[in-house]
Amino acid sequence: MAYSELIKNFQRVRDYMRAFYVFGFKSRDEYSKKSGRSYDNERRRIESWLGDYMRFLKTEEGKSVFLSIDSRAMPENPLYKAFKTSSFTDRDITLHFILFDILRSPDTALSAPELCERIDGYLSGFDEPIEFDESTVRKKLKEYVDQGIVKAQKDGRKVLYSRTKEGGEIPPYMLQFFSEVLPCGVVGSFLLDKQTESRHIFNFKHHYILSALDSDVLCDIFIAMREHREITADNYSPRFSQAKQVAIVPLKVLISVQGGRQYLIGYSREYDQMRSYRVDYLSNIKIKDVAEDFDSLRKWLKRNEKHMWGVTLRNSMRGYDKVEMTVKIGDNEGYIINRLEREKRCGEVEIIDEHTVKFTAEVFDASEMLPWLRTFICRVSEFKSSNKQAERAFWNDLDKMYELYGIKEG
Amino acid sequence: MVFSELYSAYYNALAEIIKQAQREPLTAARAREIIGNTAFRESAVEITDAISAERWQVIHSDYTTDLKYTPTMPLTTLQKRWLKSVTLDRRSKLFGEWDFPELADVDPLFTDEDYRVFDSYCDGDPYDDRDYIHRFKNILFALHHDKPLDITFHSSKGKRVSVTVRPERLEYSEKDDKFRLYVMGGRFGSVINLGRMEVCEVHDGRNYIADRSHSERPRELLLEITDERNALERVMTHFSHFEKSVEKLDDLHYRVKLIYDADDETELIIRVLSFGPMVKAVAPERFINKIRERLIKQRNISAQKRVADFFSSQLFCAGGRLLRLLKTTAGFRVCGTAGFKVFLVRNFFSVKKQEGFGIV
Repeated sequence: MAYSELIKNFQRVRDYMRAFYVFGFKSRDEYSKKSGRSYDNERRRIESWLGDYMRFLKTEEGKSVFLSIDSRAMPENPLYKAFKTSSFTDRDITLHFILFDILRSPDTALSAPELCERIDGYLSGFDEPIEFDESTVRKKLKEYVDQGIVKAQKDGRKVLYSRTKEGGEIPPYMLQFFSEVLPCGVVGSFLLDKQTESRHIFNFKHHYILSALDSDVLCDIFIAMREHREITADNYSPRFSQAKQVAIVPLKVLISVQGGRQYLIGYSREYDQMRSYRVDYLSNIKIKDVAEDFDSLRKWLKRNEKHMWGVTLRNSMRGYDKVEMTVKIGDNEGYIINRLEREKRCGEVEIIDEHTVKFTAEVFDASEMLPWLRTFICRVSEFKSSNKQAERAFWNDLDKMYELYGIKEG
Repeated sequence: MVFSELYSAYYNALAEIIKQAQREPLTAARAREIIGNTAFRESAVEITDAISAERWQVIHSDYTTDLKYTPTMPLTTLQKRWLKSVTLDRRSKLFGEWDFPELADVDPLFTDEDYRVFDSYCDGDPYDDRDYIHRFKNILFALHHDKPLDITFHSSKGKRVSVTVRPERLEYSEKDDKFRLYVMGGRFGSVINLGRMEVCEVHDGRNYIADRSHSERPRELLLEITDERNALERVMTHFSHFEKSVEKLDDLHYRVKLIYDADDETELIIRVLSFGPMVKAVAPERFINKIRERLIKQRNISAQKRVADFFSSQLFCAGGRLLRLLKTTAGFRVCGTAGFKVFLVRNFFSVKKQEGFGIV
């Protein structure tokens, strides 16, 4: 099949884009274990969409291709472009523009045969006009009814089709902002494409743009969640390097703005457990039946969220990990207390004396807190946890860091 | 469905071409220009080929069209549902009242019940505060109309400062959940936190020329990653928002080059530390030294703590030994005698004290 910059299936290019953006050190040979041509086509497509951000590096192992984007300098997420590449047929695009030219206002309501007749009128000016039979037109109209852009209403035995109402003008700055900060922001980007260009007034710090690639998956998850429905999905496991189908009652999406990942918290009937799933590992979402216990599962989650530092959940009957960290603060270092108060996601901050502050918490998994606790290195006078593994890991890692930077033990 | 041809760049490009063709005669060169602005690098070839061959029968090969109206498309259900979610976000108030009756019966795509940002800081800007909303709207107005602003704010040192500045752009940090305004002409820096503003009004219209602008101070950082406990993926995702490149050194080690702004150095040091021994800063020397300083300070605190723990444990042991001694008969006798002698001596001095100073 001839190369085209448009694609039918998003999943493959999603994987390549993630690899180019996150890693970017792999050479062609490392990607092309299955097919070299597939790699070449995907690389060429991504270069066509995002050429300004493509970089190349020559190493002994070959040339590596990667995406390098300073997202703080971008007023809009460039990865959204990938969602504007869906392929279509000549018939699709022709029918689309003619249909909406005929259905120019919500007051114009026509039946499928009437529409077919008018469509022929538009095509008669071409040397080799495309022929649209009534079933093709009906199929397209049904698709558009499902998408919400065409309305079908019965008039006696006939079904009349009209376009849905346009709606008011959407404030452009609102769209610029929310298309970058809300989940499925790519939808806002679609809306911006239809507006006349406005000045970009925002930029975004600590902005993880990669989650854009999960918009399709996330959107299906939200749709299922709103209807309290279960889903099945292919869940990729790096341990087994392949995907396994999982059935989940989706309950909440947790988004990290410090790590750049998105997680789905859901109930697994198979394991009778609440679990967290990385959204970037999920694909092929299928929306299933209504989960009758949705409300009670969500209530359980809500009750227990206050003990989640990250995304780990487990049966609270096993008890929580107790964590206690004491930090030393110098004169005029009150901002450290502010930091503790501002950055803690649960737990308590207690001022012991002028130079000592204690942080305590009860969490599902103390090891999730280690990265945050390490940010207080140079002040930690005590760290204790009922999770002895996490406690040892903290001190052992610290010893390794002394070694790494050539600092002798005191 | 998010991935649909309805949102494709090609549909947008064709709509724009038709719009232009309805206004005035269109050339292939102008069409290519339109495509360049709306689609991708290689799109011009594909789209102009389709038009020349009259495969898309809404525009003729001579770039004329039989369509009568400007191409438009109503909002899809997905777009409406997402917009409804926008209206439910507390930050939407910052953008003013917005009348869209079509959304009244629309189910949002998601609400606060369905998702949560779990690691943003909890002292974000007060989006419900009326004065904050007023100041934000003034900033939007000034940015849109390119007007200066009179701002009074509290500096990080608590000093009250009034300035007239020309706003450049608004920066939002999802981690801090705060807005910052980049300005030109500020005597006290070029960035003002919106949360620290007390007054922000559009300048009264007299001519105002701003000369100073914010300038980035890019710096380069080299990190070495040891790919244990999935560190490579975690680090690369964590630092993915920087301009960066990565090189494989061997099967376990990788070298990453990041470009960062000098103003963010302290934050970056903390972020590197958070990865523990999996990430080592290898250049520049100044950055490494700052990490070393912190580690040395930590080592000293740990050492002091160990010494304090040692003495308290010794004290504890001595107490324990005394208790064990008391449990034996001989020990009880020795301790009893010693205790009695201490009592006699104490009593003797106590009597002397009373005699000498007359204190009861």
